[in-house]
Amino acid sequence: MLDLILQQTINAVALGGTYALLALGLAIVFSIMGMINFAHGELMTISGYTLMYCGLAGVPFVISAPLAILAAAGAAVMMERVAFRPVRNASAATMLVTSFAVAAILQILFQNLIAKRSKPVMIPDVLSESIAFGDFLIGINKLLAIATTIAMLLFLNWFLKRTDVGIAMRAAAEDFPIAQLMGVQANAVIAGAFALSGMLAGVAAVLWVSQRASVDPLMGFVPVLKAFIAAILGGLGSLTGAVAGGFMLGFIEIYLTAFLPEHLLEFKEPIGLGIVVLMLLWRPNGLIPAAAIGSQKV
Amino acid sequence: MLPRRFLTFSLLVPTLLVFATAALASTAGGGVERMMIVFFISLTAVAGMGLYSGNSGILSFGHLSFMGLAAYASAVLTLPLQMKKLTLPNLPAFLADAHFDFLPAMILAVLFAMAVALLTGLIISRLEGSAATIATLALLIIVHGVIIGARDITRGSQSFFGVPRETGIWVAATVCIIALVVTRLFRDSVPGLRLRASREDPIAAGASGIGIKRERLLAWVLSAGLVALAGVALGHFLGAFSPKKFYFVDTFALLAMLIVGGMTTMTGAVVGAVTITVVTEVLRRLEGGVQLLGIQLPEVFGLTQIGIGLIILLVMFKQREGLAGIDEWDERILPRLLKFNSNAGQINTSVLEPTRSAGTLKADSLTKRFSGLVAVDQVSVSLRPGEILGLIGPNGSGKTTLLNMISGVLPVSSGGVRLGEKIISGLPVHRFSGLGIARTFQNIRLFERLSVRQNVLAAALSNWPREPVSQAQARATAALDWMELTDKAQLKADTLSYGDQRRVEIARALALGPNYLFLDEPAAGMNREETDALMQILRRLRDELGLGILIVDHDLPLIVSLCDRVTVLNEGQLIAEGTPEEVQSDPAVITAYLGRKHREENVA
Repeated sequence: MLDLILQQTINAVALGGTYALLALGLAIVFSIMGMINFAHGELMTISGYTLMYCGLAGVPFVISAPLAILAAAGAAVMMERVAFRPVRNASAATMLVTSFAVAAILQILFQNLIAKRSKPVMIPDVLSESIAFGDFLIGINKLLAIATTIAMLLFLNWFLKRTDVGIAMRAAAEDFPIAQLMGVQANAVIAGAFALSGMLAGVAAVLWVSQRASVDPLMGFVPVLKAFIAAILGGLGSLTGAVAGGFMLGFIEIYLTAFLPEHLLEFKEPIGLGIVVLMLLWRPNGLIPAAAIGSQKV
Repeated sequence: MLPRRFLTFSLLVPTLLVFATAALASTAGGGVERMMIVFFISLTAVAGMGLYSGNSGILSFGHLSFMGLAAYASAVLTLPLQMKKLTLPNLPAFLADAHFDFLPAMILAVLFAMAVALLTGLIISRLEGSAATIATLALLIIVHGVIIGARDITRGSQSFFGVPRETGIWVAATVCIIALVVTRLFRDSVPGLRLRASREDPIAAGASGIGIKRERLLAWVLSAGLVALAGVALGHFLGAFSPKKFYFVDTFALLAMLIVGGMTTMTGAVVGAVTITVVTEVLRRLEGGVQLLGIQLPEVFGLTQIGIGLIILLVMFKQREGLAGIDEWDERILPRLLKFNSNAGQINTSVLEPTRSAGTLKADSLTKRFSGLVAVDQVSVSLRPGEILGLIGPNGSGKTTLLNMISGVLPVSSGGVRLGEKIISGLPVHRFSGLGIARTFQNIRLFERLSVRQNVLAAALSNWPREPVSQAQARATAALDWMELTDKAQLKADTLSYGDQRRVEIARALALGPNYLFLDEPAAGMNREETDALMQILRRLRDELGLGILIVDHDLPLIVSLCDRVTVLNEGQLIAEGTPEEVQSDPAVITAYLGRKHREENVA
């Protein structure tokens, strides 16, 4: 039993880490623009297809993975430039709807230009092997996911606290008009935020694909839905909250799958979300609310 | 708010239009008739979604879950008994033997969906803006999961079939009219006006006594009921459906109608539904690949979805309010056509006299800390009815923060506010107006896309339903008259000049019938003439209505000539108080304003 719990905990950390990276990407953009990017999932999908094409072209994984991440970051910046800049400063609902439309259009484009169905992605064999720790086995892909998540969180922490761009982003998240008066360039900060958010989506996509070895036009849809929920569970716009919400959701899902009685397994999804809703009842602003809430200028 | 006879007219026209269209469609028959049935059902759902999203400003992805719940609930009730035994052998006993006619089944299903909405609404109405939207998304996923999981009742993800096809063109048209009428009536009801005011500016709404918790819940439940109505009609039109029908693809299509038309009006729902239906019909024909001018166009999968996506982008880029804008069709036409003046009738300014007797308003050693920074440091002030108190001080001295605390907009860090014997600090902000405290804001906070009159009326109605609408209307009319805004009552607030906007804010505060009025830089942006006129009005408010007025301003001549007493703040601390003359010659004040050096020169 203890083994099972330990095993599932590792699974939960691995899955939760991926949700955390996605939720973090959403939160970075939200904290600066007040926008929920529905097309975040399509950035993941773009990353997945990059991996697929690289695999077909015989590019080794160590090169194709960074390329895939770069592709998502680039796509995110382009998305902002083409579709989101015209609605910048509009109401939250307007921005949400815009990104919703972008997501729908991209999904159809993937289906028409690439494939309607799921396509295999070549993944190095080593990723599907396991390492034995005493009695139980841990998949290398799980370890990779956990290690990558930790590395990304450390990197992000350094980036936001120590680099000029990172500090400008935090200033913009705090109070954009004032940050602009202090010389922060709106376009640069927003492009940076999207690049960062795309990069996180790319990393999450590489982890996601390396555990499933396939990609389909709607690949990003479900994980990003989960990330939305993780983001409000953590506290919308709060970066630490996004990470906490991501891990929390990962734990809820994995434990429910592992320990729910068989006849209730069908209701796994509704029960999991139900638990999230109950937590929100307890803390309506999320687990770790964004600092900006409450100090709004009157 | 439109007078009743205009509202009747505004409701009658779409009703007749829908019935006329239905009659045409039923003579055409076949594909046209089926298309119109789907159109009416979609419009029903869109109008229902608009009732919530349009008035509250919160986009919902979750409404199709009510559509699905109602479709399944009604279908289980109307399914013929033999069919039920065959396809749903494990149905719980109380459902297995139940058989209802279409209409009672419809009513039960709608009530069921509304009950679910009530439960979920209690949770969702605690969340704000985007968080609420994501919560509705979670609702959609949860309900979808439950419908698939409850396979004994719903056949899981398989098709639920054999539902009697009761929905013809007349049922669809009737359902549609119900939705349009309810949506329109709600928009112009008191709860609707409150929600719209809060949508425009939640902080100002709170300070104007507009609480919206119940209103949001009401809108959520009502809109769920209308969408459920569409669900019942759809289920009994299709005859067979699966949970997929009430998930993301159809949510996208219905949201597109809502957004493209403009979600704040019934007119928008109609325009959006027509636009998207026409575009879908055209693109669907192209989707399969057709011959156009002798060229064979290729088959493009999902062309309709791309088309809808592009239309949404275009509307968002070029006309965010949607094609129909934010006014109903009749609101554009009727005032011009009939030259009606909603301010007609006797103006009785005595209605603004405060009805409650107020004790002295006392703030005791109020302190406000913003994470380390002490913005206001143990400041005590008091204000009596019938006096004007000036609050001055250099920029950043804490004037607005003090005012925000006394008016309940900001919580106090320590200290307390008393009104007579009652401690009022710590009460929710929308309770302050009921205690006789009203205010304006330094950065003008109007309900921008509402008319001047609606701005004022929304505040005047804050006592509804404890007080009849007519009384609130009389107060709104009097407040507008008092601030000389009667001519501009029908204009949108955001079209007014700066000075006029400030006067609307004061009118809105007056309409609450307050004992105390707090004005934060009311003369900012006004020229001398406007300022003089304003001072005249403020004096009359003190003398004729006996209001206690607290005024923050930088305009010293205004403060000196207007105020009975003046309190001076500097760096969060109270440094002087007294008559304008006393304060003007107070050395501490001169130092604060002009610096020490200047004072020494002056004294020397």
